[in-house]
Amino acid sequence: MQRRPTLLSSCARAATAAEARFRITVAEPAARASRVIALDEAAAALVRGLAGQHWGGGHFLVYAGELAADGHDGAAADARLTTPDGGQVLLSEELAGADVAVMIATGQAGPEPAEVIGDACAQRQIASAGLVVTNGGRADAVVAALRPNAMVLVVLPDAGDIPGILSALRV
Amino acid sequence: MLRPEINELLTQTGPGTPMGNLFRRNWIPALLAEELPADDCPPVRVKLLSERLIAFRDSDGRYGLIDEFCAHRGVSLWFGRNEESGLRCAYHGWKYDVTGQCVEIPSEPDERQSTLCRKIKLTGYPLVKLGDVLWTYMGDPERAPARPAWEFIRVPAGHAYTSKRWQECNWLQALEGGIDSSHVSWLHSSGLKSDPLFAGARGNKYNLADRKPFFEVVDSEGGLYIGVRRNAEDGHYYWRITPWVMPAFTMIPPRGDHPVHGHFWIPIDDENCWAYSYDYHPVRPLTEAELQAMRDGHGVHNEYVPGTFRPLQNKDNDYLMDREAQRRGDTYSGVKGIAMQDASLQESMGPIVDRSKEKLVSTDSGIIMARRKLWRAVEALRDEGTEPPGVDPEHHKVRSASVVLGKDEAFADACAEELTVRPGIRHSSV
Repeated sequence: MQRRPTLLSSCARAATAAEARFRITVAEPAARASRVIALDEAAAALVRGLAGQHWGGGHFLVYAGELAADGHDGAAADARLTTPDGGQVLLSEELAGADVAVMIATGQAGPEPAEVIGDACAQRQIASAGLVVTNGGRADAVVAALRPNAMVLVVLPDAGDIPGILSALRV
Repeated sequence: MLRPEINELLTQTGPGTPMGNLFRRNWIPALLAEELPADDCPPVRVKLLSERLIAFRDSDGRYGLIDEFCAHRGVSLWFGRNEESGLRCAYHGWKYDVTGQCVEIPSEPDERQSTLCRKIKLTGYPLVKLGDVLWTYMGDPERAPARPAWEFIRVPAGHAYTSKRWQECNWLQALEGGIDSSHVSWLHSSGLKSDPLFAGARGNKYNLADRKPFFEVVDSEGGLYIGVRRNAEDGHYYWRITPWVMPAFTMIPPRGDHPVHGHFWIPIDDENCWAYSYDYHPVRPLTEAELQAMRDGHGVHNEYVPGTFRPLQNKDNDYLMDREAQRRGDTYSGVKGIAMQDASLQESMGPIVDRSKEKLVSTDSGIIMARRKLWRAVEALRDEGTEPPGVDPEHHKVRSASVVLGKDEAFADACAEELTVRPGIRHSSV
């Protein structure tokens, strides 16, 4: 049966400023389960500072070292993370139920943290992002390490934009 | 997500607004040169940054862009007579030159003419022809920057083609479409196979085979480079690199030996913008077939309602939505053509989208960074008078690129030359 459109082009015609105010009235869902993880000492200082600000439930963490895999076939390596108050948690615990992991690094970071976190995210189908702060210098090694391990990689000349980026992502 | 007050800061461009002041530090496209084709041709009404203006070309070939309304009684000078080196109001014959200076008030006694005329000057902005475009600078005349140096207006005549279309939404959501590389694999997927200005490039197969690209955003002097990589053969990545130069210039990565193309997104007012769409080839003239395809609305161009710059597919006709074509996969959205696929969705967001309600994800990082840079630049100009990125013509000398690189190569380093204008050398394109 031929369907005839009703209210032809009404959707597009209704695109007025007055109407736009009533769009997407659904409440913001519960905060995303975001994990912001510093990969090196300079990034750790940054992340500890960010942790004191008001966020939507994101966890702020510092990479503290890899834990060897337990030898079972297919078992992934895990890692220790520290919390801003000095506590310790496992990467695997933090990623359980996480929506996104945002890795923050400076030129000091080595390749290991990015690989461990990137592999863990890929295995769990969790989105991963990397923010690299160059502070006017080079950060080639950490950028290269993050490239295969972060779906999105942003290279920043300084840390000034990081709070804004995390806010935009509703961390 | 943007707070409402920041959304207003970035979307409002009228006189006296911070973002309007940033636009007014730049030379911007005012109209196509073809709109004023001859001396003493009909004047053209132009609305830019919420200012109502009129453009004309006088008897001596000089271009002018002045306040649309006569100082006498507020009549539109569009009804005027363009004659004898000036634009004369049709109501009482007051006449203005290309700078907006009143030069004749015929009803006044001859001996008072010059005295009175000297006191009357309409707002006037410079209007210069570069390439196929007439450019204006609407800021402080004492601080006018050097003229633009975009490659598409610097290549020899015949190497470039420029069109424009009216887009019925705020400039920023149109710009954001230009740097949102993740939508290409979806919305424009059919165009990669069928559009004569895209089809046949080797890179297209990478686009179509890998729909979950990775993104890399890198700062540049004028704005950003947004790199999108997909898997290629033998441990290589296929990169498509889009430069954005503040505030409103984007350039799409090229495909094969097709001309390279991009856009300017220029505010008409806060709820409408001009999408200027250019195509050019750095080292050869465009072929007749390419030009015909562009005139027919292929690639980044579009068809028009005859006699206007309004797209033939527009909100009043549901963009000629074709559900059967959508079902068959001829087009992904059911709307024909790359340009109108974008415009239809961006206009559907409303005149000014409320960014406090959006749900951005990490793959939107290019958009997030562009907003951050605009915000910073607007505040730095407003609070400290800092010149924004993109004003310096050196920032205009950028290119997009599509390349295949080894997995360990950083595009910003590996493609430093490819991302810079090199006169006489072909663009880097796969």
